[in-house]
Amino acid sequence: MPRQIPQGDASLSRELGARQPVWDLPTRLTHWLLAALIAFSWWSAEYHRTEWHIWSGCAILALLLFRLLWGLFGSSTARFSNFVRGPGAVAGYLRGHWRGIGHNPLGALSVVALLLAVAIQVGLGLVAQDEDGLFFGPLAQLVSSDTSDSARDLHEQWFDILLYLIVLHVAAIAFYRLFSGKKLTGAMISGRGEVVPGAPPMRPAKWWVALLCLTAAVAITRWVVAGAPPFGP
Amino acid sequence: MNRISVILAAAGFCLLGACKAQQPAPNTEQPTNSAAADPVEPIDAAAPLGTAVAGEEAKAVMHERHEGMEKIGKSAKTISRQLKSSSPDLAAIRAAAATIAELAPKTPGWFRPGTGPDVGKTGAKPEIWQSSADVAEKDLAFRQAAKAFDAAAASGDVTRIKASWSELGKTCKACHDKYRKEMHH
Repeated sequence: MPRQIPQGDASLSRELGARQPVWDLPTRLTHWLLAALIAFSWWSAEYHRTEWHIWSGCAILALLLFRLLWGLFGSSTARFSNFVRGPGAVAGYLRGHWRGIGHNPLGALSVVALLLAVAIQVGLGLVAQDEDGLFFGPLAQLVSSDTSDSARDLHEQWFDILLYLIVLHVAAIAFYRLFSGKKLTGAMISGRGEVVPGAPPMRPAKWWVALLCLTAAVAITRWVVAGAPPFGP
Repeated sequence: MNRISVILAAAGFCLLGACKAQQPAPNTEQPTNSAAADPVEPIDAAAPLGTAVAGEEAKAVMHERHEGMEKIGKSAKTISRQLKSSSPDLAAIRAAAATIAELAPKTPGWFRPGTGPDVGKTGAKPEIWQSSADVAEKDLAFRQAAKAFDAAAASGDVTRIKASWSELGKTCKACHDKYRKEMHH
């Protein structure tokens, strides 16, 4: 595939190395809050702050729902339709044929895997109960006591899977930093990053779309926390 | 100056309020008449967790402990789930409370020296036998709370049952947080 650098088009042709908007604020906030809440969830489980652990999980649910909605209605680089690609695109990326902005086809796999793994972890926690029968996920009443016990065991085991994916994620960022000089962490903080020449600029979504997505995410979370009426107790 | 005295007075009132709030609620956790007739066994200060065991006897104690804890846990799940439902099944709660009240007096014998992780597979941490007085005290609190909960369950008063259940749950957690291994089964 030949390099496609539009000539003489000021809006599309950009200088190599110029830092351009890549991640919008909602995407960045979601990312760092998710990271912080996963760390807090681990800590609160490890140190038996079970009530806090459950609330942390509910907050993660809200974040996940927001990210899902933002992946449909958010800025171009946050949209799943813009970055989730098939194996052909991944192979092409590995051979150096990718001129995009945001997640590359390989990184997209990591995003999907991480979001899925967190979603599974939240799902298990929602229906789990603790060993002593004192703490319950908000949806534990929808399943039997034995199912809640199994969910707790899986919830403990699935955390290891999640941890492997997080380690892989961080290792990949370190790899890019060391071997191709890309500062991905800085871009996730500032929102701006180096973009390959010819890549289309990020199309930011309106702030009120973010507000609507957040409202919907919080509303769904509140419904789940209430035990998902009318299916609940 | 005036403002400071008002703030001080307000702070004083808040403190008084706090003192009042800390006074124990009247008589919800105290054993009832039947409990007074059949008191909770006190701790033996000389051997808070009983005498040492070894060999088959130790295995038998560990087995009884495991099965007993499992039964108590199962009963706890039944009680919690019933109390969370919109129409709690009082008969199920009473039966589960009776199971716990029946097993609770046996718990002082479940942690006799020689029944730790060096002897067999168990969730019990070795620290139990390094702080046997603390464990025995926490076990006593559990036995008292189990008895009180049994009485609360018999009363059929859901508000009282819930309050008493919360107290009993705390005594489970107090020991498990400190003396139980993670991922032990």
